[in-house]
Amino acid sequence: MEEVLRKLRASPILGNIYITAVVWALLGQGADALKELVREQFGHKGEEIIRKNYEVIDEAVAYISRQEAVHPLALMKPDVKWRNHLYLTGSQAMGLGIIHAGCRLYASYPMTPASPLLTYIADMQNKTGMVIKQAEDEITAAQVVSGAMLMGTRAATATSGGGFDLMTETLSLNGLLENPFVVFLFQRPGPATGLPTWTAQGDLLLATGCAHGEFPRLVMAVSGSQDAFDLMPEAFNYAEEFQTVVIVLSDKQIAEGLSTQSPYDQKRAEIRRGKLITSPKALAKLTAADRYDPKAVDGLSPRWLPGTQAATFCSQGDEHDAEGKVNESGPNAAEQMEKRMAKVEALRKALPEPELYGSQNPEVLVVSWGSNRGPLSDVLKSDAFTGRKVSYLHYSYLWPLKTEKLMKLAKKAKKTVLVECNYQGQLGMLIAQECGLHFDHRILKYDGRPMFFDELFEQLTALLP
Amino acid sequence: MSIPLDTSGPSMKDYATETLCTWCDNCGDYGIWTAIKQALTGLKLHPWQILLCFDVGCHGNTSDKITAYTFHGLHGRVIPFAAGAKLANPRVPVMAFGGDGASFSEGVGHLVHAIRSNYPIVFVLHNNANYGLTTGQASALTWQGQSMNSSPNGIPERTLPSMDFVFSLEPTFVARSFSGNIPQMTEIFKVAIGHRGFAFVDILQSCPTYNKFATHKYLLEHCKPVGPDHDTSDFKKARALAVDTSKHIATGLLYQNKDVPSYYEQLKSRQGLKTTAVEEVKRIDVGEWMKEFV
Repeated sequence: MEEVLRKLRASPILGNIYITAVVWALLGQGADALKELVREQFGHKGEEIIRKNYEVIDEAVAYISRQEAVHPLALMKPDVKWRNHLYLTGSQAMGLGIIHAGCRLYASYPMTPASPLLTYIADMQNKTGMVIKQAEDEITAAQVVSGAMLMGTRAATATSGGGFDLMTETLSLNGLLENPFVVFLFQRPGPATGLPTWTAQGDLLLATGCAHGEFPRLVMAVSGSQDAFDLMPEAFNYAEEFQTVVIVLSDKQIAEGLSTQSPYDQKRAEIRRGKLITSPKALAKLTAADRYDPKAVDGLSPRWLPGTQAATFCSQGDEHDAEGKVNESGPNAAEQMEKRMAKVEALRKALPEPELYGSQNPEVLVVSWGSNRGPLSDVLKSDAFTGRKVSYLHYSYLWPLKTEKLMKLAKKAKKTVLVECNYQGQLGMLIAQECGLHFDHRILKYDGRPMFFDELFEQLTALLP
Repeated sequence: MSIPLDTSGPSMKDYATETLCTWCDNCGDYGIWTAIKQALTGLKLHPWQILLCFDVGCHGNTSDKITAYTFHGLHGRVIPFAAGAKLANPRVPVMAFGGDGASFSEGVGHLVHAIRSNYPIVFVLHNNANYGLTTGQASALTWQGQSMNSSPNGIPERTLPSMDFVFSLEPTFVARSFSGNIPQMTEIFKVAIGHRGFAFVDILQSCPTYNKFATHKYLLEHCKPVGPDHDTSDFKKARALAVDTSKHIATGLLYQNKDVPSYYEQLKSRQGLKTTAVEEVKRIDVGEWMKEFV
């Protein structure tokens, strides 16, 4: 190749187009179509550059045609069934889902791998009419979202581990205010700056354990392009229904990975806003003490919005009484804590069970979450695993943790296997804490790379009965 | 931004609460508290029509001493919270209150970017030149050399020239008053609420317990309202007047620029929309936008 480039007096970077043209020719495609694409991409750089590109393409095509032993591959004809499919990243899928969910304000500070979501939502603003704020830091982003949510819109922010650390004081505030809050936490390997452009699942315990004091929270995780869309409305629904913090985990693999995806069903999503009061009649009946009523069933008290004609209250970041007035008495503190924490059990009951792939009576039970779903389900679909009674239990909702279905399956299984992209086996730790189950085998990876089919296939094959 | 008016009009009683005040005797917060209520009443705003956001500090205890939609947040963070609330529903007047500790140390970045952003909110600085709630430590605005709690020898750091700093950020509204001058504060708050963008209101506040240098008496003697001939549109003169406190401290509306659009007005995505983000929460059809990925 170097020789060819020298002969044509082409710069080394045109090696890229030479290799592309070689592969293009091997796939049996005509040079004209490639030239058209080159013009589309580089036309703005001037005719001289285009001419040089064309010369390189012609040389590459001539080279392939001289190779008698090489026969170009016959490509399959395009299948019409893929005609309406989308080709998009997880960030774009989440962005579409966030817009679909009625989120009207998005505030964020750039951080890999959360930035592509900001880019997509910001690029869409003139179509969606959303308020987009690139904040001066993550604390600002979290506070802007908190204020917007208190006012009554749907708002969200996204970041990665380091930025999330900065947001946690604000998460705690929303726990006490009983204010809905949604944050997308895109994981990359830490600690510190770590491997900033690689992937990980090391922030599960951060999500479940972050921020001072005790308050209810929901931790959920997307796994791929389908639920990156489907789970977005649910994140906002739970935040509003339970008036608390929702942390949605994603990772670099999902954020930037491209998927072929069937068009999203737009009839499925619900908009559930819980105990939000908006009708003038109902507003007129409210008293200030309804806002943080400690007697509210499941701790879910009415919520209403500044600017609506009703009894007013204080959204109070100090421990408060039912109206939001500062109250430091022991009985009040205990009563309000019990009110808020009652939401944990109510939330646990409301959440869907983890999803099971494979037999209800597994001999080997694999448990995992997040982006491992893709390679795991591919392994289970492979010939070596069909009919082998290996099942996969996938957790989308990670906290509060539901363990009943897991325990039933684990009792039947001869072997239980945990798969995670972190060092400690963090979901395994949560499971052990919540129901005492300890996994027989753990497949853990913490080198910044996602789980790959081959390694999972090999390690799980070794565990087959 | 028009302010919703009601001809029937609320009274001071509507803003009252039965919550007992816990501020020290002669605390400047009493005067500021009174002026807030008078200004809101004067503008005929009902308690349910507004949002008052408080930082953490002595002033933050106002949060449950006014009947209104109020918020009491984290130390140093009140400005971005208030901004987020306002952007979600620009029809509701939003005032944010913070002390000099929170606003010139922990949360100084928020102040910088709020002025730069020109959010359509009022920010009232309770400036008592110390951390009163944590029993009198030096703030960035404490006079250098003053003996304070945890700095018995005085602080080595220079005093932050707050007014010069604020003017360096090209604000669109700067006013200053003194916690003993309730009529002046009331008028300033009223004008500030009507301002198009970010209104910075510096209230020099007496702290009888911990501030032994800029006392009520000192402020009473030194604060001097600007005269009717003061040109509030002259940036240079206003800055010079605000910064030079050697003879007296100029108070009143020092500077206002009505020509700079607010952050919200500048959002191209919101041009022509009559609704607020609060009213727009519903399932949104993304069918057209999905096609961009086919």
